[in-house]
Amino acid sequence: MLAAYLQYWRINVLTMLEYRANFIMWFAFSIVYHGVAIGALFVTMRAFPSMNGWSFREMFFLYALWMTGHELHNTLFFNVVSVPEYVREGRFDRFLVRPLDTLFQVLTVPSQTMPDSLILAIVTLCVATGVAGVHVDAPYVLAVIAVVAGGALIDLGISLVVATISFWFVRVDTLRWVVMSLEQDFTRYPISIYTRGVRVVLAFIFPFAFMNYFPATYFLGKTETGLHLDPAVGLLTPLIGLAWFAVSYAFWRVGLRRYQGTGS
Amino acid sequence: MEVATEVGSLVLRVYLLRSLWTALYTQNLAPLNLPLHSMITYATVALLMSLILEVDGTRLIREKLREGTIATDLMKPISVPFYFFSDGIGQTGLHAVLVIPSLLFSLLLVRIDVPRPEVIGAFLLSFALGYCVNFFLNFLMNSIAFWTLETFAIQLIVRWVSDLLSGQVIPLTLFPGLLGRLVFALPFAAIYSTPLLIYVGVIAPAQWAGAFAMQIVWLTLFAGLSTLVWRAGSRRVVIQGG
Repeated sequence: MLAAYLQYWRINVLTMLEYRANFIMWFAFSIVYHGVAIGALFVTMRAFPSMNGWSFREMFFLYALWMTGHELHNTLFFNVVSVPEYVREGRFDRFLVRPLDTLFQVLTVPSQTMPDSLILAIVTLCVATGVAGVHVDAPYVLAVIAVVAGGALIDLGISLVVATISFWFVRVDTLRWVVMSLEQDFTRYPISIYTRGVRVVLAFIFPFAFMNYFPATYFLGKTETGLHLDPAVGLLTPLIGLAWFAVSYAFWRVGLRRYQGTGS
Repeated sequence: MEVATEVGSLVLRVYLLRSLWTALYTQNLAPLNLPLHSMITYATVALLMSLILEVDGTRLIREKLREGTIATDLMKPISVPFYFFSDGIGQTGLHAVLVIPSLLFSLLLVRIDVPRPEVIGAFLLSFALGYCVNFFLNFLMNSIAFWTLETFAIQLIVRWVSDLLSGQVIPLTLFPGLLGRLVFALPFAAIYSTPLLIYVGVIAPAQWAGAFAMQIVWLTLFAGLSTLVWRAGSRRVVIQGG
């Protein structure tokens, strides 16, 4: 399985070398995508310097933390997003008759994925850590890596749920797009700006708040979590990520058992 | 299901903008020309406009170039760009229907200012001009496919930049100093910013004529450029043989 996985990355690199212009264009897109988000935040917070006690520098850190987890997900697990397409075209059936785990096969369809955006995210996170004045020591580095990994798992859980839904409802493109953009929009701000019900949803149902808000609260030494929780809950992100992934994986297995194909 | 997802996502976004601006206005000094109710009106109307403006009617160009079917279209005795425009209008009309349920659900969450009828008239006129500017911008982006078939990334880049610089995400009046003057001087402002600022009254009736003129200048420029690009592009297709 490891050999197959290494082969997958070898093919990705070769594809990248073959389509260099395309690679550069998509990298430019990543820069613009995040640049626009951070730019909008900067302009907004120049006019309104405080958002529930968060300054631009802290908001930048909040964004960078989400961005890194999200890009780690995009680098390792992005193919999950293509499952509805495979299902629609009947290509998904192929994975079912091969001897390796279905999810593993989905994750290793050659896809022109490169870790360029992840590197961009890590650089951004380093800059943001400096800008926000977070105290950096060995425990911080370990904690931040764990949080980012947990964040990627939370993201994977969501993609997997959307992918599984496509076993029943074939067309889920809009849903997928909406979930992705709402995730980006709602994780951009401290959850304390939302009403109580939405905070609870973001913390405990779709636990996006664990991708960046709770950990950022902890790292920045803030005391208010918006839900009367100890800021140290931010360190639970890896566990939440694992739990959320386990649940979504179970759902995926149920979906697989019910899967009937589209006849195409 | 598609419709429900789209309307649902728009309503969630309205909720988000209400939370965001309410939090910002309660803790900071409000800008003089844009009180909270105007800001919420601005952001909500911008979202409703995006239902219409995010339809890319000219996507067909890219697809047809890819598949080579553009060759038969060029043979037909019709103006092909006009055919794309009509197709775009049709798709837009379909999406415009979504505005009504979205507006109704949004009104459960926010209050939108309703200006005087003549302001609404000016807004609609300006919106129509902005729609055309947006159409030609999309047209130009999709026409890149005449030269290189991988245009999707470029197009997304332009769309993202345009969302920020057109005033869809935040009003351009928030941009400081020189940056502010710059964003108003760019063509993107003609798409969202001009109609929206007319709607909330930041552009006063005395300045309407100037605002329309500016939009018309951009429209003419983009339309002219599109004609040139189209001519050069379709000649290439003939050379390639489709």
